[in-house]
Amino acid sequence: MRALKLLGALAAAVLFHFLGMHLLPAHLASFFARGVDVFLVVLVLYALESSSLAALFVGLAIGLLHDTLTGGPYGLFGFADTIVGYSTARLAQRLVIQRATGVLALVSFAAVGQEAIVAGLAFLLQPAPELPDPVWVAVEAGVCGVLGMLIHIAWDHWQRAAEARRRGRMSRLRLG
Amino acid sequence: MDERRTGWVLIVVLVGQLVFLAVQGARTGHSYLERAGLRVLGPGARAVAGLPTSFSSFREGLRTRGGLLAENRRLRREVEDLKLRLMQLSDVENEARRLGAAVRYATPPTGRIRAADVIYVDHSSFLRSLILYAGETPAHANQPVLSADGLVGRVTTATGRYAKVQLVTDRAASVGAMVLRTRRQGVVRGSGRGSGSLELDYVPLQADVRPGDLVLTAGIDGVYPRGIPIGTVLSVVPGGQLFHKILLAPAVDFGTLDQVYLLDYQPVPPTVREAVPGARP
Repeated sequence: MRALKLLGALAAAVLFHFLGMHLLPAHLASFFARGVDVFLVVLVLYALESSSLAALFVGLAIGLLHDTLTGGPYGLFGFADTIVGYSTARLAQRLVIQRATGVLALVSFAAVGQEAIVAGLAFLLQPAPELPDPVWVAVEAGVCGVLGMLIHIAWDHWQRAAEARRRGRMSRLRLG
Repeated sequence: MDERRTGWVLIVVLVGQLVFLAVQGARTGHSYLERAGLRVLGPGARAVAGLPTSFSSFREGLRTRGGLLAENRRLRREVEDLKLRLMQLSDVENEARRLGAAVRYATPPTGRIRAADVIYVDHSSFLRSLILYAGETPAHANQPVLSADGLVGRVTTATGRYAKVQLVTDRAASVGAMVLRTRRQGVVRGSGRGSGSLELDYVPLQADVRPGDLVLTAGIDGVYPRGIPIGTVLSVVPGGQLFHKILLAPAVDFGTLDQVYLLDYQPVPPTVREAVPGARP
């Protein structure tokens, strides 16, 4: 069931990414591509509620998926997202992250961490790499953080509503 | 599994990936994982790419019928002019062939082009690429990709009907180039910084290069044939050492690409390439 949920979330993320890139005008699509990493948001939200081993491999898979859509050496995001997935899961085991602002901070931090790892690897592997623009890193961290927080709130709300409906049905069954 | 073992698994996975990345550096386009990813994501990207094109073109067509009629008339006139120009150039070409034959000059092969749809463009910072739908005939690694305006890049990964293209604006791309006016050669590559501009490197300080000069492919890199427009010189600044610092504006507007052309062109036969061990691509 968890695997199905993850696959569903990934399919939705890919669709969201493609739709954003194609439906938005060129200048907004550029902002969308550089500022919104929907794959990272899915990874962090998954890692928050899973074991570090599962988060590690899901991070690898999501990173390689991201690599397919970008240029440069294949595996750059795979490497970065493996570390991000593992670290997030480990952090979630030590800290209780339930507030939406906590999720915002975690996703933002993960976005900065991912950019730093990708840039470091690019310096090792690319002939003429460049440092990521700090403004864009901040924008990505902010946007991803807010997106992660909104998805977390919506998911939490939906789960509570589903639970309330289930309890309502159960109580009606008992009365009946 | 306890956390200590998970830590070991993490180390093994990371080391494995580093080895994979290091090995891959010399063998671009040979990753089975990347091809598999392209096969999975390609159809989705193509399906989504079809949505806005058909919808917006239909809406645009309804809104601007008058404008389209005027444009149609203008294009018809342009086609007539181009036909005339083509006839004149055919005469020049025949003459050049005759003269070439007289002195036994062997012209390099020019290749054939075929259209391919752009289904995804990566706009992210210094890693610049796009994904193509090549159709029935698959693309192959290092195949040049052009648009009507000039050079787009080269195929880095091809699988089935899909191909990934490294744009010339990618920081890691490099193209053998020459200045049309003076035939001075250099190497063009993406300038990075998210600007989408290009740099022309290895042009010595004594070389004559001016803003406005047109830069074409030189046909010396074993990937691109000679004479494809790459860009126009924007600025020339004397560099700190022996070379100019030259900035180019790309000939192609990468933000508006929806169709490109794959060039079926084999610049150096495999047998000759194998005989030169140090040569790349």
